[in-house]
Amino acid sequence: MTDERQPRADLDAVLKARAALHDQARPEAVARQHARGRWTVRQALSALADPDSFVEYGGLTRPVIDGMQGAADGLVMGTARIDGRPVDLVMYDYTVHGGSQSYLNHHKLCRMFAHAAKLKLPVVSWLDGGGARPQDGAPGRRLAPETFVLFAQLSGVVPTVGIVPSRAFAGHANLAGMCDCLIGIEGSALGLGGPPLVAAAMGVTMTPEEIGPLQAHAKAGVIDVVARDEAEAIQAARRYLSYFQPWQGPVEAPDPLALRDVVPENRRRAYEVRRVIEGLCDVESFMEMRRDFARSIVTGFARIDGRPLGIVANQPRHMAGAIDSQAAEKAARFAQICDAFGLPVLLLCDTPGLMVGPESERSGIVRRSARLLTALANARVPLMTVVLRKAYGLGFYIMGSQALRPAVLLAWPGAEYGGMGLEGAVEIAHGRALAAIDDEAVREARRAELLAEMQHAGSALETAARFLYDDVIDPAETRARLSLTMDTFPDTRDLPPRRGWIEPY
Amino acid sequence: MAFEVRSEMAGIVDAIEKGVGDSVSEGDEVIILSSMKMEIPVEAPVAGRIAVMHVEVGQTIGEQHLLFSVET
Repeated sequence: MTDERQPRADLDAVLKARAALHDQARPEAVARQHARGRWTVRQALSALADPDSFVEYGGLTRPVIDGMQGAADGLVMGTARIDGRPVDLVMYDYTVHGGSQSYLNHHKLCRMFAHAAKLKLPVVSWLDGGGARPQDGAPGRRLAPETFVLFAQLSGVVPTVGIVPSRAFAGHANLAGMCDCLIGIEGSALGLGGPPLVAAAMGVTMTPEEIGPLQAHAKAGVIDVVARDEAEAIQAARRYLSYFQPWQGPVEAPDPLALRDVVPENRRRAYEVRRVIEGLCDVESFMEMRRDFARSIVTGFARIDGRPLGIVANQPRHMAGAIDSQAAEKAARFAQICDAFGLPVLLLCDTPGLMVGPESERSGIVRRSARLLTALANARVPLMTVVLRKAYGLGFYIMGSQALRPAVLLAWPGAEYGGMGLEGAVEIAHGRALAAIDDEAVREARRAELLAEMQHAGSALETAARFLYDDVIDPAETRARLSLTMDTFPDTRDLPPRRGWIEPY
Repeated sequence: MAFEVRSEMAGIVDAIEKGVGDSVSEGDEVIILSSMKMEIPVEAPVAGRIAVMHVEVGQTIGEQHLLFSVET
């Protein structure tokens, strides 16, 4: 559309207003943001959206207060493509009144969220700011905005990703708290109430970074992914969305033989379950969620032969892979995300069971473990189970036992089954007979004998003989077996509608 | 350059497989921790030489306890 003529006055005014939104026209704002060591929102937008794919909505809005300036009223939003797939983007501009939520940019957000619901578009949010803009809060000017309700209603309808690039407090944190996947950049801070509210309520002066440092949120399971900088955070957001669409990239299979030696022969020796995941999935395809939270269970997305799936794996390196309250909740929510968006779930079982004891009971394990069972029992997507080693008690029941009707239930050669921990089972079944043996050495020898009998009965081949598993396999063929199983899965578009259930906790 | 290795979990030091001055490759087991009846190996994060050993066998340690450092 090259036209050498001077534009007409009306067109000229529009072109100038639109040009004023861009970084070249806002050198002071750009300099301020760069002085903070942070990207501008337009820089982030360029990195997030495919080239020339962004269509801006509401770019010409300005603050409602007379005389107040602010490009796009502090919110850059619109449609775009990410790796070819259409999305909606909503991105706060920290250089416009601290990225605050204003009368008009709430309207803009509502517009975009309703748009996403109608067209079923994933939403990526750049949450850079500290809540409401005080100047807009005069009585009568603003009623409770529908922003948060509309965003809550997107839950499970479209994937939602949030990025916290520096500070997200109050209303920004409300949005962050509802994202399926929340990515934070190191050094950033997140919290419901910022310094003024903390000072008023608690009488202490604190910085945002002291109130809600990113690392604390990663450990609490609030942040799903920690990124070093803007580029890495944006890459993580793109990657997260890649699991919800057909994979177009290259597929490289890992060395299958590596899986034969991941589980040590010594049954007391722990190992890194991520090595099992790496040995099963397409090379570099695994993206872990909530790595620093509930570390006795590992959750993440990956691909097998280019097909995306979710993985829930017990981690023997932490608490021997016992499922505590936090692990159950981490896995339950992850399974819900997979089910909402049609990803099969692979359960890698190596657990001594659910965490017992008074401390675990105080943490609500009765209800919280039920969350995981309920999520898996009501999942519409296919489950697949591989028992790597320990399969004990209710822990195994939840981690993909026959009762959950997994599409396939496989075990590795070292699989150990028990309805409960075997030491406890010996005591319950034979405690009285053992107590009647006076000689301690004889008694302990008998106890060891009984334990060995139970271990034999629970071994992979003995339990397979009673059809506990569909098959016991060479670990090296696990990936091929799972891939063949995935060939039998129905198209996710044929899944029945999701049914609501009552969260046990 | 020295790499400090901390414990990812609470436990008891079950065995120490490398001593100060020993050279290690990346991934070599240096310490075996015992936690929840499991033996959890702690590996050298990089190749180098064990510069300092901060724990002894039988010692009870908490999460993030400094275990040893590797000099590259």
